[in-house]
Amino acid sequence: MPHLDAAYRFARWLARSPDDADDLVQEALLRAFRGFDALRGSDVKAWLLTIVRNCHFTALKQEQRRGLVPLPEEHDAQDGHALIASTPDPESASIQRDEQRTLESLIAGLPDDHREVLILREIEDMDYRDIAAVTNVPLGTVMSRLARARSALKKQWLRHNDGVPRAVP
Amino acid sequence: MQCPESLRVQAYFDAEVDSVTAADVEQHTEHCAECRALLQDLQELRAAMHQELPHLRAPAALRARLTRALDQESTSESSRRFRWPRWRLTAQPFWVGTFSGGFATAAVAVLAFVIWVPRLANPLVDDLVGAHLRSLMPDHLIDVVSTDKHTVKPWFAGHTDVSPVVADFEPQGYRLIGGRADYLDHQRAAVVVYQHGPHIINVFSWADTQRGLPANATRNGYHLMFWKSGDLEYCAVSDTAPDELLGLVRLLQGLGTPDARNSNN
Repeated sequence: MPHLDAAYRFARWLARSPDDADDLVQEALLRAFRGFDALRGSDVKAWLLTIVRNCHFTALKQEQRRGLVPLPEEHDAQDGHALIASTPDPESASIQRDEQRTLESLIAGLPDDHREVLILREIEDMDYRDIAAVTNVPLGTVMSRLARARSALKKQWLRHNDGVPRAVP
Repeated sequence: MQCPESLRVQAYFDAEVDSVTAADVEQHTEHCAECRALLQDLQELRAAMHQELPHLRAPAALRARLTRALDQESTSESSRRFRWPRWRLTAQPFWVGTFSGGFATAAVAVLAFVIWVPRLANPLVDDLVGAHLRSLMPDHLIDVVSTDKHTVKPWFAGHTDVSPVVADFEPQGYRLIGGRADYLDHQRAAVVVYQHGPHIINVFSWADTQRGLPANATRNGYHLMFWKSGDLEYCAVSDTAPDELLGLVRLLQGLGTPDARNSNN
């Protein structure tokens, strides 16, 4: 399943734990398989990620109604750590892990609606039109959110690196 | 104060502008230090995200679980669909009353066996998987070789009982490679053949039988997706991933229902 990795990665950013992400992907795939959600445009990946996102919000609403989780913002800071703590990468050096943690937790700390456009653009390499379809906002909103997410991340990242701009090869 | 061109510079960086705008932006950044710095920031950030974020892939355990879930879905779909409704017995108490105790149970059991069990193994699903497998044997796949819908579609008129939608979706990755006639459910069915990467997708179509379609299913690793359009019923069969198969189904569904049965039959 060629778009499964994308669905899984996106689910990991949305869900609060790897187990939740697994459930989310399964729910989304079954929904797609049953054909409940019409394919908008012709991009299968965008369509699948839209379903993942919809499933996430449906599950979140249900949990909030049952009082199981407080508002999602309060979890943001922890999210990043949970994500890393549960995905140990034995091959990478510890320094690299620290940097991952920094960048990853900074991204996790972005507001939800800013983070998702950034992830879809930079990690999933999607164009503005597909991002607009997945996140269900106009193209202009995608552009402004993307700009704000990038600028905020850049500022915070510089602060983390003691104000020394990192040279990237 | 941010440069009013910053969003355009970002769009340029994301390769979202045409060549004229791109030239504009390049000219602008030559004079605007702020936008030059922005471009630099965008590049560094992208490089950092690519290098330093873990390259997550769906774990093998999840893949296995999904395959199981999809298989189970096929089975439970058919049992949900074909379970004889219980209310028939309770809504007609006089009828139930004519049976007593064990006799009623036995009658229901027989009824369930007769009605339910054969439907669980829907013969149409097996026929389609069989037809798909046969088509993969040497020289069985295609009767009319063409990537042109104007060649494939008229060919069906003389060789099958139906005239299905035929279109090439090469830009979307589903290349039309030809058509074939097949015998299915007492009809000469039309089969449109697509290639998707290394996978062959057979799209079967036949005249609506009014019997209702089976649920989407997975058999021996082959996925079957059914739909109805106009007075034709369709089934796409392939070993490609379900989401990829759905992509083609959605594209075909998007073409609407311009077709009817061949008038010459």
